[in-house]
Amino acid sequence: MSIETTLQQIYDLPLSSLIRENVNAFPVIESLHVLAVALVFGTILIVDLRLLGLAAHRPGVRRLIAELLPFTWAAFALAVVTGSLMFMSNALAYAANTEFRLKLVALALAGLNMAWFHSTAYRRIDRWDEVLPPPATARTAGLLSLLTWITVIFLGRWIGFTLEVVF
Amino acid sequence: MSIATFGDWLYATPVSTAIRETTWIIPNVQAIHILAIAIVIGSALATELRFAGVFATDRQPTDMLRRYLPWMRRALLVLLLTGLILLVAEPGRTLGNAVFWTKMALVAGASLVTLQARKALLRDAVTVEGGPALEASRPLAWLMVLIWCAIIFCGRFIAYT
Repeated sequence: MSIETTLQQIYDLPLSSLIRENVNAFPVIESLHVLAVALVFGTILIVDLRLLGLAAHRPGVRRLIAELLPFTWAAFALAVVTGSLMFMSNALAYAANTEFRLKLVALALAGLNMAWFHSTAYRRIDRWDEVLPPPATARTAGLLSLLTWITVIFLGRWIGFTLEVVF
Repeated sequence: MSIATFGDWLYATPVSTAIRETTWIIPNVQAIHILAIAIVIGSALATELRFAGVFATDRQPTDMLRRYLPWMRRALLVLLLTGLILLVAEPGRTLGNAVFWTKMALVAGASLVTLQARKALLRDAVTVEGGPALEASRPLAWLMVLIWCAIIFCGRFIAYT
């Protein structure tokens, strides 16, 4: 089974055609997607800037991450659900779109960066929890996170201008 | 001059045409607009949920305001500037649009409450934990979170109405 067949099957799903054919479905889903993305970036930015050495509303990084992460994850879940629904409605077009593909790469990089941070600097957080500026690994992770998420948002908006939709 | 004629006039101006015809301007300005609203919603969420008494309750509300209010002010300025560019480029999409004017009313209200009322609270230093002013502002704090979310939703929805 080729990837095209799978994408065509996704396109043919009843839910996909429902999103395509209902005039309000896509606008509502996309608006929720932007809201979710804004919440993801807005909450992650507070942590990233603290990792770069800009004081947040509390001195300890560990607790800052712990109290903000639930909001980031909840918003990210909403972004994934709404994003998947938009993808389903035009699976072949999205899969062929360069900006969409690059956005997935940027998201993967953001994930890898997070994994790298948690397995390095975060393990030794007791030593730098309230220290300013934070160690170089933490600063690097903060900067990379900031850059990848900004890239994700730019690419995401560009999809809307480059997607060749099929009806 | 009616709003529609003003929109037509604006659309025909060289600056409006130039923004539209330079294909990379609108997507990038929209992306910057989203980055700026993300700064506002992140700051607003932290600050308002502190006011609501459900977030960072070990910190003083004034700490939150001091940290996040300057960011919100700057991000709101970026939103105003990028929003103006988008409005000049495509006046027909916004000026006659009920969702756009709903968003503008919500933005005006939310900005006013954020920049003025909360600043007054900061100045009067009545924000001591459990103080009556803080208790009374809890429903307003929840309302503000909802309003900022509605603003972002409306912002994208404008494109479809």
